[in-house]
Amino acid sequence: MKVKIKSWIAVASWKWDVPEDEVCGICRVQFDGTCPNCRFPGDDCALLVGKCGHSFHMHCLLDWINTESSRGLCPMCRQKFEYVEQ
Amino acid sequence: MSSPSQRRIIKELQDMSRDTSSGMEASVIDPQNMTHLIGRFKGPPDTPYENGEFAVDIQLPDNYPFSPPKMKFSTKVWHPNISSQTGAICLDTLSAKWTPVLTIKTALLSLQSLLSAPEPSDPQDAEVATMMLSDPEAFKRKAREWAIHYANAPSTAQQSRGPSVEERRQQEKERELQGYDERTVDRFMDMGFSVSDVVVALRRVGVRPGQGRLSEEVAQRVAEKLLGL
Repeated sequence: MKVKIKSWIAVASWKWDVPEDEVCGICRVQFDGTCPNCRFPGDDCALLVGKCGHSFHMHCLLDWINTESSRGLCPMCRQKFEYVEQ
Repeated sequence: MSSPSQRRIIKELQDMSRDTSSGMEASVIDPQNMTHLIGRFKGPPDTPYENGEFAVDIQLPDNYPFSPPKMKFSTKVWHPNISSQTGAICLDTLSAKWTPVLTIKTALLSLQSLLSAPEPSDPQDAEVATMMLSDPEAFKRKAREWAIHYANAPSTAQQSRGPSVEERRQQEKERELQGYDERTVDRFMDMGFSVSDVVVALRRVGVRPGQGRLSEEVAQRVAEKLLGL
């Protein structure tokens, strides 16, 4: 029997390169989900990985960094938050 | 659609109701209002607050978790970092040191450890702090009294509920005194008579409840009555 494939639909899945059960410490939603203000996960709602080793949804972290009381510190370890360029 | 802040509050409440090991509880007062909660925890062991039930009023700001929850004790507490009048709390993690990774549960845990580690050098209530520094034993007694009175703490460490043996004995005695002055009766009890016998003798001699110090003559007659002379 000869089968001729006429067309196919490719499906891919993706996930952020972080441990599976981890949640964003700020909004408590899984990293693979979005921050509370976005609808679609992915590049539009990216993660920021800090040099201190702590990661957050970018939007969540920016909301924090933009408050005066944050003083630019990581909410987890209170060191200056600097993100790793990826 | 609920706001981001509300969604986080709901998650936190779910987490807390699942976790029974921490002993921290929080619940909404009015289901229509997710920003006003009441938190509860037990006083930590080896402190005057041991096994008291402490309630905390929690107001969550609109931009929670970026601003800290406003917490104050609704149970009256005698502690240098808590106002004995209003329940206001002096704790850095609830103000300058707050960060959004902290939660209602961690804040309640901080309050519980504040009860274990009072800091009189940075007081919220100056009167309590002064007492703690000048007379630590009196401070402990008063903190314990308040915990028993307001936080329903058991009055002895061993007993988990109800009045202690000592308290029950005292209550029993007060009933038997039938209004007679305790000191008057004690004087005859010291001779080895029971409360009820003394009360009967007093009444026979004509002493009325509430009457002050007995004259020597009356006391003598009471003693004679008791001895059956």
